[in-house]
Amino acid sequence: MEITGDLWSLLEKSGHPITRSVAGNNQSGAHGSSSVTLPRPNDSHAGGGFVETHGTTVIAVKYDKGVINVGDRRATAGFSVMYDQSEKVLAIDEYTLMAISGSFARAMEVVRYLRTSFKLFERTYLQTMSLEGKLSELAKVVRAGIPDALQGIGGFIPILSTYDQDDKTGRIFFYDGAGARFESTEFGAAGSGSTQIRGVFDYIVKTKKPFHDMNREEALREALTLLDIAADLDAATGGFSKVLPLAKTISTDGIEDVPEDELRSLVESIESTYGQRSLPHRP
Amino acid sequence: MYSPFDFNEAISHRKDYVDEALRGGSPVVGLTYEGGLLLLTVRRDQRKVYEIYDRHMFSAIGKQSDIENVRLSSIQIAHQEGFERSPDDVSIQRLVGFALSPALKKAFGEQFTVPFVIKALFAESGKTAASDLFYVLNYDGEFRQVHGVAVVAGSQAAEDKMLERLGEPNASQSREDALRQALSAWSVGAREVLRRQIGGKEDEEDLLNPLRDIDEAEADGVFLRDELKNGKLEVGLLERRANRESRFRLLPDSDIESLISEYR
Repeated sequence: MEITGDLWSLLEKSGHPITRSVAGNNQSGAHGSSSVTLPRPNDSHAGGGFVETHGTTVIAVKYDKGVINVGDRRATAGFSVMYDQSEKVLAIDEYTLMAISGSFARAMEVVRYLRTSFKLFERTYLQTMSLEGKLSELAKVVRAGIPDALQGIGGFIPILSTYDQDDKTGRIFFYDGAGARFESTEFGAAGSGSTQIRGVFDYIVKTKKPFHDMNREEALREALTLLDIAADLDAATGGFSKVLPLAKTISTDGIEDVPEDELRSLVESIESTYGQRSLPHRP
Repeated sequence: MYSPFDFNEAISHRKDYVDEALRGGSPVVGLTYEGGLLLLTVRRDQRKVYEIYDRHMFSAIGKQSDIENVRLSSIQIAHQEGFERSPDDVSIQRLVGFALSPALKKAFGEQFTVPFVIKALFAESGKTAASDLFYVLNYDGEFRQVHGVAVVAGSQAAEDKMLERLGEPNASQSREDALRQALSAWSVGAREVLRRQIGGKEDEEDLLNPLRDIDEAEADGVFLRDELKNGKLEVGLLERRANRESRFRLLPDSDIESLISEYR
């Protein structure tokens, strides 16, 4: 048996769908039409055709010990809420988190791909894959999804957060749909509600302090508040009053879930502090 | 004209060649304990106990190139299976029975290829202690499943002595007890290997053995003191209660040190 040590080439050989276009415009070439008929999982929304399930807003901010990732729990298909318990912040390995937005189907496959690919590398070569190597792996799978994304399915945008053991600092990387990678100094956001809150991050950094100088509670409070604003301004984002969001941290000790109690008390404190301010003032 | 005799002879030549090449290998001991499974051996420079997948590890005696070939194939097959199906579907039984054994058998049976020189010991950590198991895979593709206690060594005599020393499997023993027992079994196996190397015969009173006049425990001590000067004790664990996705870890030096400090 031929040994490669590389999951991608293995999967290409076995014809696994992650390496191929689902829409298939570059395979038979018979029809490059934009209408894709697939079974519809949820018929409750108006309008014909297949509507993909999408994850909404995810946020990554630095804090003094590393990086915090926060995401609401909603997944939508068109105007329908598909699921209100989705997990959009996922551990890839001990020090790498991926927050996903956009196509759920593709993103979950990519998470599985990366997990397996990193493990395969480590076990084969008896060393962990370098940060640069991990970033390239992610770019590769994002790129492979472009043909489908252009046809309207499978497009997703990840944020990759990690803890750099050499520099003793958190790192945040975000991608565009074509696989271009950017490193952010303070924060990253993706998903339907992210454009609405983009400027708020800058406002916080300029008027309060940089996220990387905040302690865990401060940074978490800002991230949750941002999520709340995204939910106010974006119809698809779930917010946190009904279902608690998901929050994870990466520090030198690895990845940890922020406990539910802590999240609940922070959410309650945010709501009691700011909740009333956005209501119209009645004398 | 090719006769059955030629076939038998050819096979037995190949068998002799591989057996001879395996003879000097440092034995490997596999044991279950209350928290999981362990593989123990003493090595020179090259690592000997490897992680294969989330719940699987492996060690072997033989030629390094063949060990590496089997190791890499195993890892690759397990990861492809784990991705295309699920990590729960990766099993030693499939890995050994469906992939490795046929390949080894083929290589062993083909007259004009070099046979694999390897005897491998795989370990799989199950959901419960009762489903923990070992697989011993031989160079000719033969394999067997064993529970509780498993060994590989360069000769049948060495393996017999090790199994005798290990006795009945005891899945409820502590890790410390299991390690001590495994080290003792390694020692008796490695002594047998050494005895044969310096000319001792299979069933003969070992007149050449310099340690023949002292009792077993003392002989172990003297032998281990000497072996651990140049060799390094290596222990791989599959821990059922691991708080990680992978249950494998190598026992760190600090724990090794407390185990072997009496042989310093």
